[in-house]
Amino acid sequence: MIIQLILIFVILLIIIKLFGEFRKGQINFQALVAWLVVWLAAILAITYPRLTVVVANRLGVGRGVDLVVYFSIIIIFYLLFRLLLRLEKIEREITKIIRELALWEDGKK
Amino acid sequence: MKTLIVIPARNEGAQISQVVAEVKNCGWEVLVVDDGSIDQTAVLADTAGAKVLHHRINRGQGAALKTGIVYALGRDFEAVVFFDADGQMLASEIEKILEPLLLEKFEVALGSRFLGQTENMPWFKWVTLKLALIFSRWSTGLKLTDIHNGFQAWSRGALEKINLTQDRQAYASEILHQIAAQKIKYTEVPVTIKYTAYSKSKGQSVFNAFNILWDLLIKK
Repeated sequence: MIIQLILIFVILLIIIKLFGEFRKGQINFQALVAWLVVWLAAILAITYPRLTVVVANRLGVGRGVDLVVYFSIIIIFYLLFRLLLRLEKIEREITKIIRELALWEDGKK
Repeated sequence: MKTLIVIPARNEGAQISQVVAEVKNCGWEVLVVDDGSIDQTAVLADTAGAKVLHHRINRGQGAALKTGIVYALGRDFEAVVFFDADGQMLASEIEKILEPLLLEKFEVALGSRFLGQTENMPWFKWVTLKLALIFSRWSTGLKLTDIHNGFQAWSRGALEKINLTQDRQAYASEILHQIAAQKIKYTEVPVTIKYTAYSKSKGQSVFNAFNILWDLLIKK
């Protein structure tokens, strides 16, 4: 089906971009591997939709799509959590800068 | 005992002159940490005779207090008293809250409005504080009678033992956790907290309790 071709094409572009980022040092090896696994699994699920149904049924879930959604939600929650932690860290670092600035300005008087 | 009164302030232009004047009249050295005010707080505090440090951007009461602590520890102050800028506290009680430290019996003195007295406290504030107290006693293990009371006296030694990382209102809970973890010798001192229309408008909304819980959860 066309939708499969389009999705797989887009994912291949994403994978190429991933390797590019790895080469440039923007992401580390673990991140590359983790995302590769995710995207390759996505390609698998798109190419063989019945695979998801088989796995789902094995796990006691009705539809393949449901299984994919369940996993996606867990992954999204996890990523969101990591994002929040990252934001917190950035906030703390901003405060450090503001504090240093405040004390430095005082020292200059 | 060389003492510094640290007053974190954000947009307290209406009260800051009076607050600083009252504290200075009792003979104390005052540091106002201007936490990103957009009004004349910094200028007014300076005119009233306080030392002023500026946070260019607002970072929160916890962050402002820590800046004051870093400043004090960088000089030879032996004690620091946290004091509010909104006129809710009495400068005349600073001496009382320092007493346990002077007698060298304790390292930290925490003000308690329930041991002391309050004027015009809104009922929902009372309820929120009491509920927060129950949670805090369970969470920190400290048997206190008040919580989130900004009126506190800290000895230099105790300040060196703690490390404040919470920038906003959750710092108050973090402080208690660290007192418990570092086994710092603390005591409670009865103090007076006055609620006026002004201070009530500047105060924390009771819904802030949820923000604080959230901050504490994420930080852990």
